[in-house]
Amino acid sequence: MELQVKEIIARVLNVALDQITDDLSSGDIPEWDSVGNLAIISTLEQELDLEFPLEDLFDLTSVRSIVEEVEQLTNV
Amino acid sequence: MFEAPHSILLCEISRHAIETPDKIALVEGDTRVTYAQLMANIEMTAHAMHSLGLKSGDRIVLAAQKELGFVYHYFAAHLLGVVNVVVDVASPRERLDYIISVVKPSALFSSGLEVVQGVACYSFNRPEPEEGQLLDTELPTIAADDVADVMFTTGTTGVPKGVCLTHANIAGSAGNTNGFIGTCSGDIEALALPLSHSFGLGRLRCVLMKGATLVLVGNFANLKSFFSVLDTWHVTGFGMVPAVWQYIKRLSGRRIARFADQLRYIEIGSAALPVEDKLLLMELFPNTRLCMHYGLTEASRAMFTEFHSHSDNLDTVGRPASPFVEATVRDDDGNPVANGVDGEICVRGNMVTWSYFKPEDNADSFYGDWFRTGDWGHRDDNGDFYLTGRKKELINVGGEKVSPATIEDAIRSLGVTDCACIAVPDPNGVLGEVPKAFLQKGDNQMDIDDIKNQLGRMLPPHEIPVEWEWVDSIPRTASGKIQRLKLKQ
Repeated sequence: MELQVKEIIARVLNVALDQITDDLSSGDIPEWDSVGNLAIISTLEQELDLEFPLEDLFDLTSVRSIVEEVEQLTNV
Repeated sequence: MFEAPHSILLCEISRHAIETPDKIALVEGDTRVTYAQLMANIEMTAHAMHSLGLKSGDRIVLAAQKELGFVYHYFAAHLLGVVNVVVDVASPRERLDYIISVVKPSALFSSGLEVVQGVACYSFNRPEPEEGQLLDTELPTIAADDVADVMFTTGTTGVPKGVCLTHANIAGSAGNTNGFIGTCSGDIEALALPLSHSFGLGRLRCVLMKGATLVLVGNFANLKSFFSVLDTWHVTGFGMVPAVWQYIKRLSGRRIARFADQLRYIEIGSAALPVEDKLLLMELFPNTRLCMHYGLTEASRAMFTEFHSHSDNLDTVGRPASPFVEATVRDDDGNPVANGVDGEICVRGNMVTWSYFKPEDNADSFYGDWFRTGDWGHRDDNGDFYLTGRKKELINVGGEKVSPATIEDAIRSLGVTDCACIAVPDPNGVLGEVPKAFLQKGDNQMDIDDIKNQLGRMLPPHEIPVEWEWVDSIPRTASGKIQRLKLKQ
């Protein structure tokens, strides 16, 4: 699941997979701006068939936090 | 200390450096720059530029990132009379190459940009200033009406247009804006907007002109970081585009309201904001000046409205920003029309450009000294202006102006017989407008996902159409122009 999430983030932001490290956060690279962040959220929701709770979106600021949230929502 | 009577901005920064030398002007990460240090850095950068042989009238390209080095170079160029051509460091290569071919710069400054063939390229990074290293060269006489900056906008034809702004223009715009918003030297502003755009660059000038403090923030993507900056610095104001407001709402709900008591002002601009959002902002920020500007790169911050004081009329784009700005509505022949009648909004004043970089672009752009905005609207009997449509056809994707022609060219290059793009409301309600593409059915009908994937390698994400439709033919006029209005029906 972790790799799948990272691959989706890399694809949406149009950057190399090795740039998507656990500590990378929104705003760290130009590609991950607010539009990119929204695209990550909606693509993950669509492709993994899940829905992020609204109250959690504010805290999804890093690759690690996104991976953990997806794992929690999909009970991996 | 130098004298730069041509630049009110530099004169003001210099005055702050003398009167409040230890006041913090700029913050970037852990670095704090006082007004005295800012002035010294500007002078030292000017010295370095002078040593490179740059002189008054030369043009340089500044590939802007939000960093201190950019700020020093920007103002150092003004000091020397060197003309800044400010571009986004993330600009598509084609756009950058075009701009360079037009302005023929003597040098390019950036961090992170690849070397450009045929242009001397330098980094923004400079050593710290040392005693005795300040500019001691006698400067040539520069006039307030000399060009300070050239900003490239997106034309309807898809070819960027360079807008010449004089020292007087940019100081005029900052003065008008500060006057309307009520910015004061005690303000601390967070800047998360890009410096390569007219809005963000304008905020930089406004804050430094007033002797206030500007905290440079990467962008709005990480709202936790942005809120933390608001907290740490006890920020009193910031600027945002409507798409950012939608983003803040979506990701943080009403959390931002906890800063309501400390925020004195929020400047909003670059695209329309729905009335329900204006009402929500008024509810969340009952004591904050919520200032929305209407303007263009050619006529920055031409009009302003403030939501609380205009609460009975939230549809208006406002009135001219200051006594130094005038606006009128003209018909197709350039004659003024009566109040309530739609026509093209035209403006003139201290911040309005007098010319595009290529004089041929001036055709159809002016009625005398009135700049034609290309926006359609009217004025009411109270003097408030309203936009009713856009004569020009740019698609406003969250404040980024996208030319339909650029997208159409890219799609046609993939082998699609014919196509046309128009603006449609963003189905997610975030970006305001997004592109919709109409594709003409042909013998070899391509898969839309394939087209999207290939466009992804040619265009930035916000230029890729969100909606797609196959049609039998693209409606065109006898002269071959796409009839976009027909597609909107």
